[in-house]
Amino acid sequence: MKNNTQENTFDAIVVGSGISGGWAAKELTEGGLKTLVLERGRNVEHIKDYTTASKNPWDFKHRSHLTNKELKERPIQNGHCDAGNKHFFVKDSEHPYIQVKPYKWIRGYQVGGRSLTWGRQSYRFSQMDFEANKTDGYGVDWPIRYEDLAKWYDYVEDYVGISGSLESLAHLPDGVFLPPIPMNAIELHLKEKVRKLYSDRVIINGRVANLTTPKKGRGPCQYRNLCSRGCPFSAYFSSNSSTLLDAHNTGNLNMRVNSIVKEVIYDDLQKKAIGVVIIDAISKEEISYYAKVIFLNASTIATTAILLNSKSPSFPDGLGNSSGQLGHNLMDHTVNEGTYGTYDGLKDKYYIGKSPGTIYIPRFQNLNNKTKQSGFIRGYGIQGKGERENWQSKVTTGIGVSLKKQLATPGEWIISLGGRGETLPNYENKITLDYQKLDTWGLPLVKVDFEYGPNELAMLEHMTKSSEEILVKAGFKNVRSYRTRPAPGSAVHEMGTARMGKDPKTSVLNRYNQMHDVKNVFITDGSCMTSSGSQNPSLTYMALTARACSYAINQINSNEL
Amino acid sequence: MNRRKAIGGIFGLAGVGFVSVIGAKYFIGNSSHNIEKLEAHLDLIAEIVDVIIPPTMSPGAKESFVHHYIVNYMEDCATRKEYNNFINGINDLQETSVNTFDSVFEQCSTIQKKQLLENLEANSTYSGILLKLNNKLRGRSFFNILKTLTIEGYCTSSKGATKHLAYLPVPGRYDAVTELNVNQKAWATK
Repeated sequence: MKNNTQENTFDAIVVGSGISGGWAAKELTEGGLKTLVLERGRNVEHIKDYTTASKNPWDFKHRSHLTNKELKERPIQNGHCDAGNKHFFVKDSEHPYIQVKPYKWIRGYQVGGRSLTWGRQSYRFSQMDFEANKTDGYGVDWPIRYEDLAKWYDYVEDYVGISGSLESLAHLPDGVFLPPIPMNAIELHLKEKVRKLYSDRVIINGRVANLTTPKKGRGPCQYRNLCSRGCPFSAYFSSNSSTLLDAHNTGNLNMRVNSIVKEVIYDDLQKKAIGVVIIDAISKEEISYYAKVIFLNASTIATTAILLNSKSPSFPDGLGNSSGQLGHNLMDHTVNEGTYGTYDGLKDKYYIGKSPGTIYIPRFQNLNNKTKQSGFIRGYGIQGKGERENWQSKVTTGIGVSLKKQLATPGEWIISLGGRGETLPNYENKITLDYQKLDTWGLPLVKVDFEYGPNELAMLEHMTKSSEEILVKAGFKNVRSYRTRPAPGSAVHEMGTARMGKDPKTSVLNRYNQMHDVKNVFITDGSCMTSSGSQNPSLTYMALTARACSYAINQINSNEL
Repeated sequence: MNRRKAIGGIFGLAGVGFVSVIGAKYFIGNSSHNIEKLEAHLDLIAEIVDVIIPPTMSPGAKESFVHHYIVNYMEDCATRKEYNNFINGINDLQETSVNTFDSVFEQCSTIQKKQLLENLEANSTYSGILLKLNNKLRGRSFFNILKTLTIEGYCTSSKGATKHLAYLPVPGRYDAVTELNVNQKAWATK
């Protein structure tokens, strides 16, 4: 092991360069800390390495399809990527894990992580969400409330650039928004219908991290809707387009790629973490790096795997695991596969440009006595999108000239809706390490043991029914839902496994995302989540990260860390 | 074509059960095949696709190299079942052509070619549960694969997308509500 201590010592280490790691890098470097960012994957240089971003459909030999060889290498990722963005998803064959029960773990091992391919939907958690566990007794209470995070939401939204509309909904707080991406004719039509038909729900413009107006040399959005290939116009938020560039500009950033963190080093005498051991992904050499403070942002499952593998006399069951909660309470949003309907009308309307946004029906269940559900607690929101069919979805008849004409004619208006629901924290949903099975680098494989409970299943059923009901009542035809067996992990919103809480006996992190047991280790990726809400969670990770970094910098400056 | 697959991944991190972008995978399979190579039939396939999408004011499927796409797809992406169905379908079509018109497909008249393919369509059209069952047991029929890939190959080809449809790689703006002009073409991509 190389131990060139002086050369390998920094003020801060950040593990992971995805959406939360990028924020940690930016905040810590701007706070004056010499920061080492460790990324297990390859470098992806902004714009230069978006190799498919400007390709036409015909530039791909197999169009959007993956080949059989590519499918075989990606038995899990393949449902989430295509020929245009597959290089931002791992090959499952190279990065195996164990599914005790079916669980899709969708990953992107590269600089920027999944911030390159995220859905960009950005919603605040509300006071109701922070109080949810306390209210119904599932999980432990969040150690923070909405007012603790509100100004940090403001701060990150202003930097990220979220397009959205002000709606004054208590359960989905407004934020600092750019102009919303407008709704098209069918979306406006459905919005109006829902307004007339229902008093308990509204349709709003989806809130997405796409720039409707330029921001600091980025954007605006060109409406290509090819975001997940990387944006040559820097028009959506990713670590690559934003936080990492600003971190670099401080002069305080050191980035080391191909660096797989094996463990966090704990010093039993000093009673703190002193650094991390990495394995160089290519040379397989082990190297130690040291710092005053360590931020783990490797993503929900990966961060906890590092902690579980960090064993010391003080923490034989994993670093900071005196509560025994580490690895437990894994959550993912429940998603149904979707409902669609066609609309016979508005034939004289169309659009120019391809929206990267959606419409959104914020949660409308269990908000108050009037919306109380008998079948489940908590709730779900529904994302949707309207478009006119083209050849990709049109049902055609015959061949020859008549077929050709059908292909060139704009088809019916179609709306698709998909629910996203809250998953309750459950101790039995967990990750562990299997030391009998090792990866290429000799690290134990992650074992995921997760299944939906009755509340999630009841919610899934309900979101499908209510989506159908909305479309039928609004006069849509051919209303259909696709039901497959629930596929946990497919929301790509994994959360929990190192939860925040007030009590060190029942939680891993305190109100500043600091480990109860090891004060100089912070975790601000999805692992920290105490409950899942129904909102897409990345915005909350970003706000928590900025807040935790501010706290850590103050602690360092006052010699507390 | 299957709406569900075509609706596209609109909601999440390339996310969720929705399949992302251009209609994505129509079928999933991973077995390799070792029977006769499709490439030998390239010229025949070119003639077939040009009947399904003939040249008019805009280019046809042959001029748009759709036959090359189909061969690439079948060789590298298709399941074994569908590959076999396709090869058998090609051979059957040729046999029917000779039996019916005493001529190989390539040398049939345009009307004869169209008749052969229309008969094929009539004989392979299941719907609803029957279609699903048939697809599951036997893989999609030759005609189903042929038509689907011809449409996809054409509409995603340079000529098909830009000359027959409206292709705007960098719209630069989003006008969410516009008036549809007479004869306005459908967008090539979503």
